[in-house]
Amino acid sequence: MTIDPVFAAQFAEISAFVAGAPRGAEVLFAELRAERADYVRFDRARVRQAGTVECSEVTLHLIDAGRQARFACTLGARRRVRTTLAAALAALRELIAHAPADPFAHWQAQPGASEHVGHGRLADPREALEVIVEAAGEDDVVGLYAAGPLVRALAGSPGHRHYHQSVSSSFDFSVQAGGDRAVKDVWWSGDWDARALREAIGAARGHAQILRRPVRRIDPGAYRALLSPRAVAELVRLLGWGGFSERAQRSGQSPLALARSGQARFHPGFSIVDDAGALAVPRFQSEGFERPERVPLIEAGQPAERLVSPRSAREFGLATNGAGDDERPLAPCVAPGTLAAPAALAALGTGLAIADLWYLNFSDRGACRVTGLTRFATLWVEDGEPVAPVATMRIDDSLYRLFGDQLLALGDAALPSPETGTWYGREPGGVRAPAALVGALRLTL
Amino acid sequence: MAHPLSRVRLRCPAPPRPGARVSLRYVEERREALAVVRGVLQPVLLESDRGAMLTVWLDGETGYCATADLSPRGLSAAAERAAHWAGAAHGRGLALPEPPWRTPDAPIRFDSVRDDALPARADLVAMLHEEAAAMKRDARIVHWAASLRIAERVQRLWLDGEDAGTQRLRFVEPGLEATAADGARSQTRTLGGQYNGVCRQGGLQALRDSGFAGGGARVAAEALELLAAPNCPSGVRDLLLSPDQMMLQIHESIGHPLELDRILGDERNFAGTSFVTPDMFGHYQFGSPLLNVSFDPGVPGEYASYGADDEGMPARRVPLIERGVLKRALGGTLSQARARARGWPIEGAAAARASGWQRPPIDRMGNLDLEPGASTMEAMIAAVERGIWMQTNASWSIDDARNKFQFGCEWGRLIEDGRLGAVVRNPNYRGVSATFWRSLAMVGDRSTLQRLGTPTCGKGEPGQLARVGHASPACLFRAVDVFGGES
Repeated sequence: MTIDPVFAAQFAEISAFVAGAPRGAEVLFAELRAERADYVRFDRARVRQAGTVECSEVTLHLIDAGRQARFACTLGARRRVRTTLAAALAALRELIAHAPADPFAHWQAQPGASEHVGHGRLADPREALEVIVEAAGEDDVVGLYAAGPLVRALAGSPGHRHYHQSVSSSFDFSVQAGGDRAVKDVWWSGDWDARALREAIGAARGHAQILRRPVRRIDPGAYRALLSPRAVAELVRLLGWGGFSERAQRSGQSPLALARSGQARFHPGFSIVDDAGALAVPRFQSEGFERPERVPLIEAGQPAERLVSPRSAREFGLATNGAGDDERPLAPCVAPGTLAAPAALAALGTGLAIADLWYLNFSDRGACRVTGLTRFATLWVEDGEPVAPVATMRIDDSLYRLFGDQLLALGDAALPSPETGTWYGREPGGVRAPAALVGALRLTL
Repeated sequence: MAHPLSRVRLRCPAPPRPGARVSLRYVEERREALAVVRGVLQPVLLESDRGAMLTVWLDGETGYCATADLSPRGLSAAAERAAHWAGAAHGRGLALPEPPWRTPDAPIRFDSVRDDALPARADLVAMLHEEAAAMKRDARIVHWAASLRIAERVQRLWLDGEDAGTQRLRFVEPGLEATAADGARSQTRTLGGQYNGVCRQGGLQALRDSGFAGGGARVAAEALELLAAPNCPSGVRDLLLSPDQMMLQIHESIGHPLELDRILGDERNFAGTSFVTPDMFGHYQFGSPLLNVSFDPGVPGEYASYGADDEGMPARRVPLIERGVLKRALGGTLSQARARARGWPIEGAAAARASGWQRPPIDRMGNLDLEPGASTMEAMIAAVERGIWMQTNASWSIDDARNKFQFGCEWGRLIEDGRLGAVVRNPNYRGVSATFWRSLAMVGDRSTLQRLGTPTCGKGEPGQLARVGHASPACLFRAVDVFGGES
């Protein structure tokens, strides 16, 4: 598909409203989040739930004489869009009339414009179902097919016009192999590609064979481990929870406080950059500031720049680098190393090959210590050969160790793990990470 | 906040195909978020969200379409799209002999808004400023915040064209948070956890009951106390948990494992499976005989109270675990039917709920409460020779089968020879659900009970964040693996 006509028409109406509605010195921004998604949930390779969600939400942000407030509302029938916006603006005017000036109000006064329109072919629902059910064969396949356009757009009364559309089809799935063992994969494409999806499901079915061997139970302790790119990506996602945020650092809540004070560091080969271009995330944020193409977050093992939202910039006397209010990276990319994939198991020798980590949380945020579980496919490897699946184990270790003195090598290819979260609809972005060979990973339960 | 009851007049569309059956679920929610952070009132955020989900059952399969276009034309188009999905799933789905809903005998009416008004916004903001100011009592307090989120929700349900009910709910979620720091070391203390564990339905009375008023000074004082406290020791100790940690323990290691859709396998690709298997119901010794857990969506003011679930099943109290024995699951009409079809006659509850109009119903906890026992707090402390008392969840992690868990708390205090000892920082504990509840040795009486919850219980594909309530007394467990941090 090209530009989605429904969402484009909504944005045109929003833009016209934003251009004409402000009075006097009022500044008005309107941010559109919209998606039309086909969601099909599978259990045992059968359709469990199937449907379409179409949702457009606009957030109006009114600023007047330093006072500000926001109103987010769902857009319904097209003929009601202007009425909805007018009602929201009236409510905001009434609200800020009684609000104090906000000392940290900060917006981009210089207008900017950008347009990114991702194209892609989408499948008819019947075709997508047919491909997945047939490709699953007799295997127990569980997962979520999600497809459709996704729009993020911003209009501002100073003249901002940013429009970002991506189109994707994805199947986040696992081939179950008994117990809680499975091969997990995420097939993601800008273009519906039945053959590629069939191949991905087929490959996962093949990889599931080894998981049907008897499970090996291991004791808690420290183990040499090969973390897959997806497992590394999970750890990096957790690090993004306050690790790169200016506000979290100033609030005493950053998991990287020790590194920033020089009391801890990562391996010199460990670097992370928030790379907007790598995963096609929108290059603008709610107050009209534009993100740089790349923001280095960790360079050669040392913390580099922090993500500074406009509010933090004003509060702490800094310049913003276009971060959103949550100051999380949208596309953190870990620099690859030199370990070639075909040589990875041999480099591991004897130890654990961990495909997925799950339910990660900080067990001691100050020490950047993380706990979580192995999940889906963890294999015991002897002399470079996978031997048996390993029962679920709990890890509890510091990232300063795992990506520090225990980091032996990083894979030579950083692979994308697209964002698959759908709490508030599908999201752009993701993580790009290589595999990591770790000398000693602490397992506690 | 203006009352959100919509003037929208909806008409359930006619079945789009011969033999099709249609349900229409309308949800409108208006939210307001107020916060004072480091002394500054943050920009107020208002939200107004409304839309409808059309579900069509046709030839044994269902399809859905969620839309915010509530015009007759918009709803009819959504019904048509839902029918298209049902057709596409034909021969590849659940093969349901009838729709996954039951029309109640009479429309369900539920209202938690009516009797408990909230003060004006200006008064609420003044209250936030007061608590925030009370937190900034020391230069080492580097972050302090007082917040309040309010949501009013109207949901209406039509099943096969019949009015199945209207429910009006108001949720209040107060929060307090203070972080004390000294160099790179810091400690954070909150009211009920960083994710609003103190949450109720109602208005001013719910706010009064929350401990918010006067809580700012306490939270900040305890953050400073923790900053100076020694690290939690490691080893096996008896563990006394306050309700604001019990809530999380119940949620993760009783609530989720008892969700019938997990047991049936729906969540294996995402939220996980369960160590509970269908053959366990009726006889499995889940915990010690002191463990009694009920699903009770009828408790006035508790966070996840409601009149009926989203499949039309009227809500009622259902015991799930009695004297430690597993009796029933958290499964709605559809999940129970699916279980029966596989030969598992498992009793359930009115548990099928959707997070909003954009999502289909799945099995949810509602209010999942641990019944109070007979022990006073003093008696439980006196019964401990070597132990620790922990309060307020700070970290949570559990495996996909909801068995191996590790939880951290904000605050800990040692218990030695039946007496309270030193406060310790970074207290954590770990265990295995299948055996942990059998170590339940004493259950607090009503004087120790608190009604709490969580606004963001996540599961489902696509993802859904649901409001869940948990009431619990303080509880004592024997011989638990306890440890501290490194910072």
